[in-house]
Amino acid sequence: MEGFFDVGLYLILGAAFPLIAVGFAALLRPSNPDPDKLSIYECGVDPYGDARVRFHIRYYIFALMFVIFDVETVFMYPWAALFKDLGAFALVEMLIFIGLLVLALIYAWKERVLRWI
Amino acid sequence: MVIDLNLLLPEIFTGLLGVGLLVLFFLWRGEGVVRAIGYLAAVGLAVAAVLAYGTVALDTSTLQGTWLADPLAGYFKVVFLLSGVMVALLSLSYLERLGESLAEFFILLVFLTLSMMVVISAGDLITLYLALEFQVITFAIMIGYRRREGAATEAALKYILLNAFSSAILLFGLSLLFGLSGTVDISGIAAAVSAGSPQPALYLAVIFVLAGLAFKVSLVPFHMWTPDVYQGAPTPITGFLAAGSKAAGFALLIRLFLTIFAPVSTVWTTVFVVLSVLTIILGNFVAVPQTNMKRLLAYASVGSAGYMIMGLIAADVTGVEGVLFYAFMNVLAILGAFGVAVVFANATGRDDIEAYAGLSKRSPLLALVMLLSTLSIAGIPGLAGFVAKFVIFWAIIDKGLVALALLGVVMSIVAVFYFLRIAKVMYVFEPKEETPIRVAPAARIVLVASMVLTLVLGIYPAPLLDLAREVALAVLR
Repeated sequence: MEGFFDVGLYLILGAAFPLIAVGFAALLRPSNPDPDKLSIYECGVDPYGDARVRFHIRYYIFALMFVIFDVETVFMYPWAALFKDLGAFALVEMLIFIGLLVLALIYAWKERVLRWI
Repeated sequence: MVIDLNLLLPEIFTGLLGVGLLVLFFLWRGEGVVRAIGYLAAVGLAVAAVLAYGTVALDTSTLQGTWLADPLAGYFKVVFLLSGVMVALLSLSYLERLGESLAEFFILLVFLTLSMMVVISAGDLITLYLALEFQVITFAIMIGYRRREGAATEAALKYILLNAFSSAILLFGLSLLFGLSGTVDISGIAAAVSAGSPQPALYLAVIFVLAGLAFKVSLVPFHMWTPDVYQGAPTPITGFLAAGSKAAGFALLIRLFLTIFAPVSTVWTTVFVVLSVLTIILGNFVAVPQTNMKRLLAYASVGSAGYMIMGLIAADVTGVEGVLFYAFMNVLAILGAFGVAVVFANATGRDDIEAYAGLSKRSPLLALVMLLSTLSIAGIPGLAGFVAKFVIFWAIIDKGLVALALLGVVMSIVAVFYFLRIAKVMYVFEPKEETPIRVAPAARIVLVASMVLTLVLGIYPAPLLDLAREVALAVLR
């Protein structure tokens, strides 16, 4: 049962920590709200318009295309660091990986995703 | 580091098949490209199934334990690939209703099958989790394939949200396992778990992994997504969910619970008994009032999960053998039934049971396949479903759970009731339209093959049972 005590303690501490932190802050801080303070923070600029604006789908597609190369880079760093030890096998492996990504890019290109609509 | 790429042969072939079909699609944008890609996908997956059958006898691992090539993986790969072949052929007679981007449908189907194969061959938790996500994301795309239809989009959204939720639960359980053992390797975790005395954190991990996987195989009360998703998805994909995805879930349950969690089996056996009782009762009773064919089959498929989990409750060779046989017979029966629904919906655009009135006069083949498939799911003697249920009941009676087996038998009678109601609609009621329904050759192959195999395995199940027993022996060794 000792182990269960630890789990229980962990649960209680986990719940208590945010409550105490936020509660204490609420007790200690001065509270003088004014319209400027309550307004939404938008990089220091006065906020305007509705929060629920509709973004054009093309932003999303470009973000998706970016992710392809983003992940590729993430994998290439550790590969490059260990390249000397791994040798030719790793080179072939990475070429296959990049080849698959290039195929995905060609597919996107064929589907006219790269065109700014 | 020695890497035996021969062990990955079925996966490499399937991956190359998907990529090859994509390249073919770049090069040839003419008439008939979709059908060509569809048939090539089916043939390629069939070849991969033969390659996978060759790996059933292996029992080894490569890539430092990341990749397992054992009988369990080999057996389930054949099951996945076979359902992949059947779904590809069925999809060919559903093209009119799928809308656009048809070539991609088959390419995604190949990758979907590949994802399931990686799930069952994964030897460490990270590969396993990534493969599961690969499967979920591909499934979500295919469920929402008819993107101009509200129901399909809703189904895809529900599927991805609930699977994200269940994946999070599963991941929490897996991270606890890592914390307990300090390794992500499944055999390493199993060794670490059986070496030390069970800790409360291990119980927690059992419950989280169990809940996460129960979502994937839709055990009650984790089944909520099933009817809506099954109804909204394109019918061939619904069939793949009920046949392939369910088999993948059970393969994982066998892999994790009979190895890592075997030392604490007393904990999860009780939970599984409760889930099994809830699942077979709710699945079968809620199926009774359904008026939509896909929803009815969805609930019947929920009920099936309740029977399959009994094999894990027994947790012995006979039990696992029963689950393996059930998974195979489920592919035949479910894809037979959904195959009829595919052809019927393609011809008439309807899924409600009322529309099936007089089907025996419009197409005797469709009516017969539907009758035999549904009765096989219900477990009528002489059909494959009976053998599957018989082996599983045998296993749990052997463990002294007679009441659970009895409940299973009673609920099978409920299943016979609602399936015979469909038979009555098809055979007794007068058709509202007389126009015969044409069955395309590709779909005809699937329907006839599933019917014949269901009958053959019902009468002479010994070869498959022997194979399943060998696999089960290897799992429990």
